[in-house]
Amino acid sequence: MASISIRGLSKRYDGQDTGMAAVSELDLEIGDHQFVTLLGPSGCGKTTTLRLIAGYIQPDAGTILVGDRVLSSKDEVVPPERRGMGMVFQNYAVWPHKTVFDNVVFGLRVRRVSGAEARRRVDKALELVNLTGLAERYPNELSGGQQQRVALARSLVVEPDILLLDEPLSNLDAKLRERMRSELKQLQRRTGITFVYVTHDQAEALALSDRIAVIHGGRLQQYGTPYEVYCRPANKIVADFMGLVNIFPAKVRSTAGRGAVALDGGAVLELTLPAGCTVGEEVDVTVRPENIRLVSAAETGPDVARATLTDQTFLGNIHEYCVTLASGLVLRVQTHPTQRLTIGDAVGVAIDAGQCSVFRRRESAPAN
Amino acid sequence: MKIADVFRLRSLVMGAAVAALVVLVILPIGSLLIGSIRSDGGFTLSEFQEALSGRLYVQALLNSLILGAWTGLFSILIGVPLAWAISRTNVPGKRLIQITANLSYLSPPFLTAIAFVYLFSPNSGLVNLFLREVMGIPWLTFNIFSMTGLVVVTVMHTFPFVFLLASSALQSVDASHEEAAQILGAGKFRTALSITGPLVAPAILSGTLLAFVNAIALFGSQAIIGIPGRIFTLPTRLYTLFSYPPQYGLASALSLIFVAITILALYLQRAFLARGSYVTLGGKGSRPQLVDLGAARWLLLAFCGAIFVVAIVLPYSTLIAVSFSKSWGLDFWHNLTLANYRFILLDYDVTQRAIVNSLILATAAAFLAVLLGAIISWIDLRTRAPGRRLLDYAALIPLGLPGIVMAVAIIQFWLQMPFALYGTLAILLLAYVGRYIPLGTRAANTALRQVDPSLEESAAILGAGWGRTMKEITLPLIRPGLFAGWVLVFVPTIQELSASILLFSSSSITLAVAVYNLYETGHNEPVAALAMVNVAIIGVAISIAAKFGAARVGLKISPPSAEKTAGVGG
Repeated sequence: MASISIRGLSKRYDGQDTGMAAVSELDLEIGDHQFVTLLGPSGCGKTTTLRLIAGYIQPDAGTILVGDRVLSSKDEVVPPERRGMGMVFQNYAVWPHKTVFDNVVFGLRVRRVSGAEARRRVDKALELVNLTGLAERYPNELSGGQQQRVALARSLVVEPDILLLDEPLSNLDAKLRERMRSELKQLQRRTGITFVYVTHDQAEALALSDRIAVIHGGRLQQYGTPYEVYCRPANKIVADFMGLVNIFPAKVRSTAGRGAVALDGGAVLELTLPAGCTVGEEVDVTVRPENIRLVSAAETGPDVARATLTDQTFLGNIHEYCVTLASGLVLRVQTHPTQRLTIGDAVGVAIDAGQCSVFRRRESAPAN
Repeated sequence: MKIADVFRLRSLVMGAAVAALVVLVILPIGSLLIGSIRSDGGFTLSEFQEALSGRLYVQALLNSLILGAWTGLFSILIGVPLAWAISRTNVPGKRLIQITANLSYLSPPFLTAIAFVYLFSPNSGLVNLFLREVMGIPWLTFNIFSMTGLVVVTVMHTFPFVFLLASSALQSVDASHEEAAQILGAGKFRTALSITGPLVAPAILSGTLLAFVNAIALFGSQAIIGIPGRIFTLPTRLYTLFSYPPQYGLASALSLIFVAITILALYLQRAFLARGSYVTLGGKGSRPQLVDLGAARWLLLAFCGAIFVVAIVLPYSTLIAVSFSKSWGLDFWHNLTLANYRFILLDYDVTQRAIVNSLILATAAAFLAVLLGAIISWIDLRTRAPGRRLLDYAALIPLGLPGIVMAVAIIQFWLQMPFALYGTLAILLLAYVGRYIPLGTRAANTALRQVDPSLEESAAILGAGWGRTMKEITLPLIRPGLFAGWVLVFVPTIQELSASILLFSSSSITLAVAVYNLYETGHNEPVAALAMVNVAIIGVAISIAAKFGAARVGLKISPPSAEKTAGVGG
C-alpha cells in the first residue's frame, strides 16, 4: 500500500536563515497509484510539505503515514534512507563525479543488488527514460533534459512505491518541458507508482494530475480534480491562482431557486449561491475570461451588460479584450481570434452564469 | 526509533570533532586566561600590572607597535601603487607584479631576515664590506640590526596583504561610478580622489591592518634582527620569559595583551572590509578604462622591479650563494662547495631529524586540520544542531593568536595534564593543527558550499546511510577543495617557527627551528643550505597543488584575500 495520509501536519521556522516556508495544519489523503500535485506560489509551503514526506525534516505537529505505518510525527521521524521512496530534485542532483550508470546503479548497490542483475535493471531503467546507450557518459556531457532523465531513472530503478518530484521541469526550456510532461504522465500510468509532484505552474498541474492540492500561505486551500479546482474553485485564492480570472462585486437579488445576483452594469445573473446568503448581501463573483462573450451592443437580455471596449491584445490563438462597464469595472474577455473589434466600440457583455463562482465576503477572506 | 540511534556514526564523528576543537583551541586559551591571574591558591592581577608597567615589557609593547605602524605604512606605499598599476594602468609586466606579490608572501620571513643579515650586518655583511673595503664609502653602509632593518625585512612579507585587497577592490569598482563623475565634469585626478579613493579606502585599510597584525607576530625576523640590535618586541620578550626559570604567569599576561592588540586590529579589519563590501555590488559593470601612463609606465615597472629584486632576488641569490660557499665573504666564489648540503643532509643527525620531523608534522597537521575543518563545516552547513555557528566561530579563534602565544597557551594547558607531552612531536602537532584549523575550515567550507545539499539528500532517499553518503558522494566531490586546503596548511606548517621555538626538544626539532639554531650558533653556510631545503619543499608542495588544479576550486596559493581566513600568519 502506497497511500499517504497527512494529518494535522505543521512545521514552523523560527528565524530567517532557512528560506523555508511554514506549513500549518495540513490534511491530505493521497491514494495509491495516484498522481497528486502540490500547487502553489513560491513560499507557500509546498516544498516544505514534500520534504516532510521525504523525511528530511521533522514536523512540529501532525503525522505522516504511508499505508498504516507512521513515518513522521512530532517525536519520531523515519530517516529518508529507510523510507524506500524516490525523489527527483529541481536541480536534478545528478552526481557529477559518477557516470550515468554509476548514478543509476547507486540505489541498487545500497540494496546489495549487483552484477548482471544490477546491469539488467539499470538498462531497463535507462530504456524507460529513453537514455539507452548513454550509460558511460558523465553528467556534464549531457543536456539538461538528459540529466533530468538520469535523475528519474536513478529513482525508478529501485522500484519505489512513492516518487516525490520537486519542480522537476522548471529548469527545462518550454518545448522540452512539454515533452517531458507527457513522458512523466505516461511513466506514472505505466508504473503505477504514486507520484507526489510539486510545482508552481498551474498549467502543468492541470495537465498532469489526478488530484491537485492548492496550497497558499502554508494552508491547504482546495484538494480536488483538475476540473474541480479550475472550474469550481473553493475560494478566491484558488480562483485567482488557477489562471486568469475576473473578480467583481455583486449584490444578491434573490435566494429563491438557484439564486440571482445583480451586477453593477445592470445585468442579472442566475447562479448557485453559497449557503447562508441573504437578499441584499454584497458578494464577489469570479468568472474566467473565456466564459464571457462579447455580443452586439444592440443585443439585450437579463445577463447582458453594456460596456465599452478599452484595450485589446492579439495573442495568436485568442484575442484578449478589456471592456469597461458603466460603473468603471474592467473585465478581461478572451474570444476567438477571428472576432475583431476596435477600441472605443460599444459592446454587450454576456457572462456565462453557469461558469461563475460566488464567494461571500467574510468567508472568502484569505485564509491566512 | 529515535533520530539519534539512526545517526550514531554521524553523532560519533561530530562529537569527536567538537571535542578535538575544544582540546586544541578552547582549553589552551582557557588555561592562558587562568594562568595569567592565578597566584598560589588565589587570584591576582599583579602579572598584568607587571606586564603593563615593567620597563622591559612596556618597551617590547612599544617596539611592537612601532614596528607594526611603520610596516603598515610602507605596506601601503608599496602595495597600493602596485595594485593600482596592475588593475588600472597599461603598465608592462603585470605578471611580474603578481609574481612578486605571491612570492613575497610565500617566502618565509625569517629566511629573508637571515639573507639580509648576510648582506647588511654591520661588520661582515657583504654589501657593507664592499662599500667600506672596496668602494671606500663607509658612510653609505647600512646596519640591518635596527628598527629600519626590521621594518624593511618585514615589509617584504606584508605588503602583499595591502596589494591583494587593494587590487581586488580596484578591479571590482564598477567603472560606471567613475564615468558618472567624469561626465559631470570631474577630471581624472578629481575622480580618483573623490570617487575611486573613498570606494577602495576600506579595502586598503583592511589590508594595512592585516599587514600590521602579521608584522608584529613574526617571531623569526624579530629574533634574528631585533635581538642583536637590542630591539625587543612582544614575541622575543615572550621568548626570553621562557629561559630558566620560566615565568608562566607573566608570559600568560603578556600573551593576552598581545592577543588583545591582534584581535582589536582584526576586528577593525573586518569592520573596514564590511564597509568596503559595497564595492563589489557594482553589478555587471564595464571593465575600467586603463590609464595610459605614457613613459611613466616604465618608471612604475622599475619600481616593481626594485621590489622584486629586494624581496626575492637579493635574499634568494644570497642564500643560494652562501649555501654553496666554504666561507661567506667578498671572494666567496673562489671556494664553492657542496659540503654544506652534505653536512645538513648526510652528516649532521640534528638537521636530518629536523627535516624528517617537519615533513611528518606538516603532512599530518595539514591532514588533521582539513579533516576537522571538513567535519566542522559540515555541521555548520548541513545540520541544524544548536550552537553550530558558535562552533564555526570557535574554529576561527586561532586567527587572532600569534604563533608564540599559541605555544604559551599550549604549554600552560599540557603542563597541567598528568602525562608529559612537552618536548614531543605530539605537542607540536597539536599546536600546528590548532593554529591552522581556520585555514582547513575555510577551505572545507568553500568546497562544501559548492556541493548542493540535494546531492547528499538524493543519496539518502535511495537508502544510503550517513557514512556511505559521505564516502561516496560528499568526500569525492570536495576532495579537490580539501587538497587545496591541505597545501594551504602544509606550506605555513613546514616553515613554522613562532610556536615551534617554545615547544621543540632535541628529539622533536623542526626544520625552521634547526635553521634558527644553526644560525644562532654561527653555522652561517649550513644555515643557507638548510634554508634552501625548506624553500625547495615549499616549492614542491605548491607546484603539486598547482598541477592538481587547486586553483580550480577557487583556492589560490596566494595571500589571503577578502576571505575570512585573513588572520595572523606569523
